[in-house]
Parts: sequence; C-alpha cells; structure tokens
Amino acid sequence: MNGIIEAIKTGVPGVEPVEVSYPEKGYHCALQASPDQLIGVVRFFDERRFYLECLICTDYADYLELVYLFNTHLAPCRAKVAVKIDPRQPTAPSISALYASACWYEREIHEFYGVLFTGHPNMAYLFLHDGIDHYPLRKTRVPVPPEDRARLDSFKPCEAEDTFFINLGPQHPSTHGVLRVVLKMDGEYIEQAEPVLGYLHRMHEKMAENRTYQQFLPNTGRMDYLGAMSFNLGYVLAVERLCSIPVPDRAKFVRIIATELNRICSHLLWLGAYLADLGALTPFLFVFDDREAILDVLEGVAGSRLTYCYFRFGGLYNDVDDAFIAGTRAFVKRMWSRFSLYEKLVTGNVIFLNRTRGIGTITREQARKYGVAGPVLRSAGIACDLRKMEPYSAYNEVDFDIPVGEHGDVLDTYRIRVAEMENSLRIIEQALAKLPGGPFMAEKVPKKLKPPRGDVYQVVETPRGELGIYIVSDESDGPSRMKWRVPSFSNLMIFPELAKGVLLADAVAILGSLDLVIPEIDR
Amino acid sequence: MVNDLLTLAGSDAGKMVIGLVGVLAFVVVNALALTWAERKIAGHMQRRIGPKEVGPFGLIQPIADAIKLLGKEILTPAKADRPLYFLAPTLIFVPVLVSFIVIPFDAALQVTDINVGILVILAFSSVTILSILMAGWGSENKYSLIGAIRSVAQNIAYEIPMLLALLPVIMLANSLSLKEIVEGQRGLWYVVVQPLAFIIYFIASVAETNRTPFDLPEAESELVAGYHTEYSGMRFALFFLAEYTNIFIVSAIAATFFLGGYQGPVLPGIVWFLLKSYFLVFVIIWLRWTYPRVRFDQLLNFAWKGLIPLAFLNLVITGGLLKL
Repeated sequence: MNGIIEAIKTGVPGVEPVEVSYPEKGYHCALQASPDQLIGVVRFFDERRFYLECLICTDYADYLELVYLFNTHLAPCRAKVAVKIDPRQPTAPSISALYASACWYEREIHEFYGVLFTGHPNMAYLFLHDGIDHYPLRKTRVPVPPEDRARLDSFKPCEAEDTFFINLGPQHPSTHGVLRVVLKMDGEYIEQAEPVLGYLHRMHEKMAENRTYQQFLPNTGRMDYLGAMSFNLGYVLAVERLCSIPVPDRAKFVRIIATELNRICSHLLWLGAYLADLGALTPFLFVFDDREAILDVLEGVAGSRLTYCYFRFGGLYNDVDDAFIAGTRAFVKRMWSRFSLYEKLVTGNVIFLNRTRGIGTITREQARKYGVAGPVLRSAGIACDLRKMEPYSAYNEVDFDIPVGEHGDVLDTYRIRVAEMENSLRIIEQALAKLPGGPFMAEKVPKKLKPPRGDVYQVVETPRGELGIYIVSDESDGPSRMKWRVPSFSNLMIFPELAKGVLLADAVAILGSLDLVIPEIDR
Repeated sequence: MVNDLLTLAGSDAGKMVIGLVGVLAFVVVNALALTWAERKIAGHMQRRIGPKEVGPFGLIQPIADAIKLLGKEILTPAKADRPLYFLAPTLIFVPVLVSFIVIPFDAALQVTDINVGILVILAFSSVTILSILMAGWGSENKYSLIGAIRSVAQNIAYEIPMLLALLPVIMLANSLSLKEIVEGQRGLWYVVVQPLAFIIYFIASVAETNRTPFDLPEAESELVAGYHTEYSGMRFALFFLAEYTNIFIVSAIAATFFLGGYQGPVLPGIVWFLLKSYFLVFVIIWLRWTYPRVRFDQLLNFAWKGLIPLAFLNLVITGGLLKL
C-alpha cells in the first residue's frame, strides 16, 4: 500500500494521498483532488491498470462530493478519489473516454444529482424515462432546469435505410425480466445495441436515506432476488464495519454456508434459464428439482424461500438446527452426483458447444475498462474472486479454488459457473465440519445504531460478481447516503460492445451468459 | 369396414369424398392425440407427470385446449396486410390434406394411388413455405417477418437433401407411386439398403417441420413465437394443427419409404403403419425435449455443406450400383 501512495505522490503532483485503515473503512488509501486534477489522477490509475469500481456522488449540503473508487484485479488496493464540486453549478470532467464503465455511472449521477459531466457523449436518462421535476437524491429540492431536461430526453433511436429497429424486451422471453434492449438490425445481424433501463426502478438508494439501518434490511433481498443472501450479507457486513460490531464465529460459518447454498441456487437457475435461451427446455426442470432441495433447507432457518433476510447486525436471525445441518449434508451429497448428469446433458452436446464456443469473447482489457465482475470477469482469465481477495466472514478459513477461463467466451462462463458450484459444495462441506458452537448473535447490539460520522465501503462476491456497498453516516440512526455498486449493472454495460455485429441468436446467448438480474440493475 | 365402404362407394368421386372426410377426421384426431402425447412425453422427460386432471390420464386435455382456443377473441393487428393475414392459416392447411390422399395406410386403405404420389406430396409441401411467408409478412410485425424469412431460407435449403434422400429409394423401387414403393419392400426394408438416405431424410424432415433443434422460425427465446406471433384463437390453432399433422406426414413418408410402410407380420397392415409412423413421431418429440437450438448460419451450413453433398454422393453411388 505504501508503494502506491509514493507512486501517486510522484505520478500526480499536487495531490496528497493518505493511508487509510482497511478494516475500518474498506479502502486502502484516499486522496482529494480538484476537478482540474481529476483527469490526471484517473490517467495515473488507468496507466497502472486499475479498474474503476464505482463512481458515487454524495450531497453534503454545502458541497457535492464525487467519489471514484479504483482497484486492481490481482491484489486488493482500493483507492478512493474524492472530488468536491460546487452544488450550485455542479460540473465535473467526464472520464468516460478513459473508462467505458464510467459512462453509465455519470449518466446516473446526472439524473439523480444534476451534475453535468463535460465531454460525456450522451447525457440521456438512464432510469427515469417519465421525466423528473427535481433531482431526487439532492438533500434540498433542486428543480431540473429546462436545458437539462432537453439533454436528458435525448435518447431517440431513428431508423435508417437498410436497417430496422427491434425491441428486445421489456417483455421478451429471453431478457428474464423487464430489460429492454433496442437493437439496430441489418437483417439478422446487430449493428448496434442500446440497453434501456428503469422498468423496475424503485430507488432503493433513496429509500435507504429515509429509513433506519434495521428498516432497510428487507430491501436488500429485493434487489437481487436470486442472490438475496449475498446482498443481505454485504449490507450487514457494511453496517457492522461502520458501527464496529463484532460477530461470533458460529454466525460467520453459518453465514458462508447459507450464502454458498444461495450461490448454488442462483447458478442452477442460471444454467436452466440459459439453456432455455438456447432452446433446450428440459434442463430448466431438472435444475428446479435440485434448487427445490436448497430452498427447503433455507426455508427452515430463514423463513423465506427467495427474498431472504436471514442475517442481522452482529449475527443471525435464527440459529441453525439439526434439521438444517442434516438437510444441507443430504443436499451436498445429492448435488455431487448431479454434475455428471449435467455434463452428459449439456457439456457433451455438440449443438450447445457450437452455440457457445467463441461467442461474446471478452479480453482482459475490455474486462478492466468496463469493470465487469464475477464469472464473466473470470472467463477472461482474471482470477479475481473477492472471497479470496478480501476475505470476509469465514472465507479465509476454508479452502477453495477460483476457476478461470481461457478464451473469455460464453462457454467459459458456463464452465466457470459449474466449477463454482463444485467449489461452493467444498466450502459448505468444510464449513459444516468446522462449524463451532457458541452464540449466534453478538451481545449488546444496540437497538438504535448511531454510527460515527464517516463513510465505509464493503465488497462481497455475489453469484454475479462484485457487490460494493458505500455508506455515509451523519451520526443519525439511518444512512445519509447509500450506494450499491451492483455486478449486473457493470456486466450489462459491456453488452453493446459484445453484441456489435453478431447474429440475433448470438446476442441472446451473450445476454444470457451475463446472468443479469434486472431488479438489481434498476435498484 | 372402411375397405367395404370404399368399394361400395364405387365411383372415383365417391371414393374421394369418403376419403377426404376420413382424412379430415384423422387430421383432427391425430393433432389432438399428438398434443396430448407431446405434453405427456415432455412431462415425463422433465421429471413431472404432464396433464392429468382433465379426464383419465389427462386425455381430454387437448379437447379442453381446443375449446379454449375456439372461445378466444380473434385479434387482427391494426396495420396487418389483411388478405395475406387471413389467408395464411387456411393456406397452410391445404397441402396437409392433399398429402394424406396418396399415403397408403394399408394395402387397400389409400384414398387414391397416383403414379407420381411422392411428387404430389413434395410439391404441395412447398406451399407451406408460401403460407408461412404470407403469415410473417401479413402480420406487420418484425419478429414475425424475421421468423418467416428464416423459415423460407430453411425450408428451401432442406427440401433439397430431402428429395435427394428419397431419390435412391425411387430408383430402387423403380416407381414414384407410394404403394409400389411399399410393395417393393416385401423382402427387405429400404432402410437396410439405404441407411444414409434414411438419416438424411429424417434430419431434413425435422428441419422441414420446424422442430427443435431446427425450430428457428419460431425460436421462442429469440423471436417470441416467430411467424405466428400475431395470430390468436382459431387461426393460431390452424397453424398448430398443421404443424402436428406435418410431423405425422414426414414420419409417415419415412415409414413408407424406408420402414416397409404397412408391411409386417401378424398384425394388420394399418397397425404396422401407424406403429412405425408414431415411433418416428416419438423420436421427433424426444429430440425437441433434449436438444438446444442451432444457430441460423449453422443450420444453413449443415444443409448446404453437409447434407446435400452427402445425399448427392449417396445418390450417385446408388445409381452406379444399380447400373452394375
């Protein structure tokens, strides 16, 4: 970490990086930059092959703060770059030319805060297509000026000679939810793909600002309904980091068991839905059979089958019982015997291989520029798994591998997800063997949390990849700002790039391989 | 009994009328039975049991479905090309009926034995493509249009290997009449002499009927429902009926050309014929619930670069051997 601080000092004169305690804050170093210095700082990180993790805006009443989080894929080194801007005339230089992933984040901030990013190619609406009269995330009511409204409304697909537009979604069998992708087609080939978001936008980030920390807990499972445990875990860990709440060992192990069960569940559903996208309908029913076994086990302790809210600040809602442990053991045994079946049904199928091999190939550079996460990132050959990189809960006490791909194509994402299911089973087996006794809940967790002023960032590896939660506390009992960096959002950003020039059928195969969960993108 | 009626009817015209009525009845019963079978087979392949509530083993389910479809509102898209849109579902049904006329269900059970029987079937089955194109174009829907365009390219590509695979059999039997082809297999089924032709024909016929893994014209995950996206109620039912009848026809032709048609020991001819045909129908259903879909360029490459050269080679070798 000291290395990077020295490098920043010499590389970008004029900024003062400081080292930060990682366990307390969730990032390693922080620096303040003025809007004029920003491009220089970002270029510095780009040259050192950092990726842009997230771009966050926070309203501190007398100033707006833009936070750029940079990290590397191979060694955890998270740098927070904060830029203060004037709330009356909020402008900042756009970094979308350097980082493609910044493009959507900047659009989102423009829509919610009114910050104008100079040099951005398209400042149109990302979520709120019905129009807004004031910027929803500003602390004071700031009306949207007419020129800004015109800028926001600029998304208009226009037809041309020899091409036509089709709407893939918002109601379409293969978008798995209400995602809309406007495709500019030349016959069966796609010339341009433009995702249109916001059909399931609920503004969880605004909701968080109006609730206490406890009240927001159930919201977490509603963002990613397939990986609810991971989202739940991420939020709980973030608040625990913010309020310095200790967690007993037993809770840590149960947390990873439940999260890994949920991960298998999510990957199984992906497998079934993906093959349905490719036209094979039978595996869908097979995976539901396996998934059912997990749901039954989790229902016994968490009380729900899909939108779990099992973890609490300092522990768990409920201790696991013998039925849970026996059920989990039985499931693990059953699941090990199922892989050969999927192997025969799917991997051995020449049609499946020909549909997926060499399709949607992602290079390492693309993966970095777009900030893709999870199995899609690992398919490009980057062994980045946050369970290993920044171990949380009890992940540092179990042994597992990070499967990576060779070609970065759609077939690799399939292989990685299957291998991840096997590794999840290994984690569950080890965690069950090591499961300690003792309390499942920390003592003396206050009913009303009043965390100290400041911010924290917490990452967890969800089934879809890196989830980051950024919380700003103003010493009240609820967050003053909460930002969710969700994996599907950044994975969808790369889709237009991958879909360029491919057949419609391949676009469906690529879209499916990204494993998007729409409520998570729209939040 | 039908035999007696046919002889009683005497005149050719009377025979035709009775035959057509029989064919119509068979088409409907066949389609109902196949929808039930498809759902039941799919159910058991997917670890569930399929329809079971309506009637014993869910046997009445297809009738309930038919009533539901009849009762549905028939919607016409505002911008549809009306004559084409209305004509397409009817037109898709004509070749289906014609094909039945020449198929020999038994030695005596054939509406009429035309001496160019197989040509009649192949010629009329091309009309299906036209009606799919009409449906896709007339619906004024982009998904329908893509589905229709795919369908035309696919059907044209797969008609060639289909015909090329049937030709060696015609050469062996020395006839285009379906009955004589069946009679030619008295000692040995042609599938033994022409295994390659049988496989090529079967693959091509799956593609001709737009079934998985070649169901691109109606690829659900890409084109919603392809060329019949905009059809509802009875019009949709007609497409549905035609699809299932087509499955039976291609299987019946395969049984006739390669599996000895109505010939077999002990059991009456018609039982043998239906057994063979429905076995092939079962295989087609089985394929659907096992395989994913191929991509469009892969589909065309497979026909033009794989099946057609192979079928041609097979034809030349058969011709050469016959000359010897």
